[in-house]
Amino acid sequence: MAMSPRKRARISRGVQYVVLTLMVVVIVLAADWATIKDKFTSPDIALAMFPEVIATALKNTLLYTACGFAFGLALGLVLALMRLSSVGPYRWMATTFIEFFRGVPALVVFLALSVGIPTAFPGYVVPGEVLGTATLALGLVGAAYMAETIRAGIQAVPKGQTEAARSLGMSGSRAMISIVIPQAFRIILPPLTNELILLTKDSSLVYLLGYTSTTVELTSFGRQALNQEKNMTPIVVISLCYLLITVPLSIVVRRMEARAGRAR
Amino acid sequence: MTTSQRQTRTDAAIDVIELHKYFGDNEVLKGIDFHVDNGQVVCVIGPSGSGKSTLLRCVNLLEQPTSGRIFIEGDEITDPDVDVDAIRSRIGMVFQQFNLFPHLTVLRNLTIAQQRVKKRNKEEAVEVARRNLAKVGLSEKESAYPAHLSGGQQQRAAIARALSMDPDMMMFDEPTSALDPELVGDVLGVMKDLASEGMTMMVVTHEMGFAREVGDKLVFMDGGVIVEEGNPREVLGNPQHERTRSFLSKVL
Repeated sequence: MAMSPRKRARISRGVQYVVLTLMVVVIVLAADWATIKDKFTSPDIALAMFPEVIATALKNTLLYTACGFAFGLALGLVLALMRLSSVGPYRWMATTFIEFFRGVPALVVFLALSVGIPTAFPGYVVPGEVLGTATLALGLVGAAYMAETIRAGIQAVPKGQTEAARSLGMSGSRAMISIVIPQAFRIILPPLTNELILLTKDSSLVYLLGYTSTTVELTSFGRQALNQEKNMTPIVVISLCYLLITVPLSIVVRRMEARAGRAR
Repeated sequence: MTTSQRQTRTDAAIDVIELHKYFGDNEVLKGIDFHVDNGQVVCVIGPSGSGKSTLLRCVNLLEQPTSGRIFIEGDEITDPDVDVDAIRSRIGMVFQQFNLFPHLTVLRNLTIAQQRVKKRNKEEAVEVARRNLAKVGLSEKESAYPAHLSGGQQQRAAIARALSMDPDMMMFDEPTSALDPELVGDVLGVMKDLASEGMTMMVVTHEMGFAREVGDKLVFMDGGVIVEEGNPREVLGNPQHERTRSFLSKVL
């Protein structure tokens, strides 16, 4: 009774679909739809969150993420170049930084900046209030991850590119800036997008710095509403807001990749 | 034999004195003494692993020689205090794998070093680039990306890129070895034109026909030494050394 591999594959796929369908049916039947409608999708509660959820919370999440990413990207590039340097101490410093900030939870970095620094250096706080601290904390964490990604990207550019640039009389740093780094960033666009999305979610840690009605970001805003209303609707709304950031981002990057692919 | 170093030929385009190069414990160049006169076309042939590409790459310091001195138009490129970038910009280099910049258009490939190294303004750089693209027959491809060109077109664009720096000499590292056979002729044609204009050229190649027809001097290398050099017709027609004869019998 030997079955052909193709027939076996078709049967096993059919079984998978049946199991998935059954799971969905069970979940749908077991759920308490009246309560779900009331506790998760209450239109009144959702509407009450506007316009603040967009005008303040979403805006702040975007702001913290963008500033943190920009700082992290710049610092990550410097760290990547230090890691590739022929000067030993540069390499060691960069490696130490990367290992530390990659290994320590982002939450610890936020606490270190908001509580640790004023304790260790009395009278001193990170400048720029919440935004300044958030940028620094997100940037330090993001830089550690991005540095390794950027380094891998730089190393993935063929050696012949540098040789061609140097043989045209470009200095080492000029060849790096004009020829190698632009190609490296094309290669690492997908993992870099990942870092940006991770950073978007890490920006929820800004709540550790304390927040006011003007500096609140999405997660804190949702949690506040959750506690007030004893209702899950705000969490559904802020989840959709996060997707509103990350899904278009993925689409834009996929387009950019397609365009870079055509030029290659 | 290294005790008495000969005088530099200050009038030569390239002068290589007692060049040694090790990769680890492996001695790839074993005391090369060699020069290229101004306006001369010198072809370097030899079996793979003979060190001919390494010699070419040492001349513009893409490989750091282990010992020995190299002079470009009288300026010592192996002097630790010399501005290597400035000397390199006088030497055009063409690679086996073309090495065009894939993220830039053909025109930008030709202008970027002119602007960044020669500090030409954009209009001048574009004008020079267009003149050189016309020379290699690629005028209509200036806004294409390298990936959209055939191998032969890429190599001609690479030659035009090197020429746009107005080099005093051109070096070719097996320029046709990565090409499909039907595309070799176009590239060799461009190189012949350059030679007839009086360009100083050093060419590592397997194209014996080109060496015989265009070359002023032929150098045969084997095992990291120059075995034989001289007029291409004589070396190819009447090789003096057994190693040359055995190599030529395999490739001709």
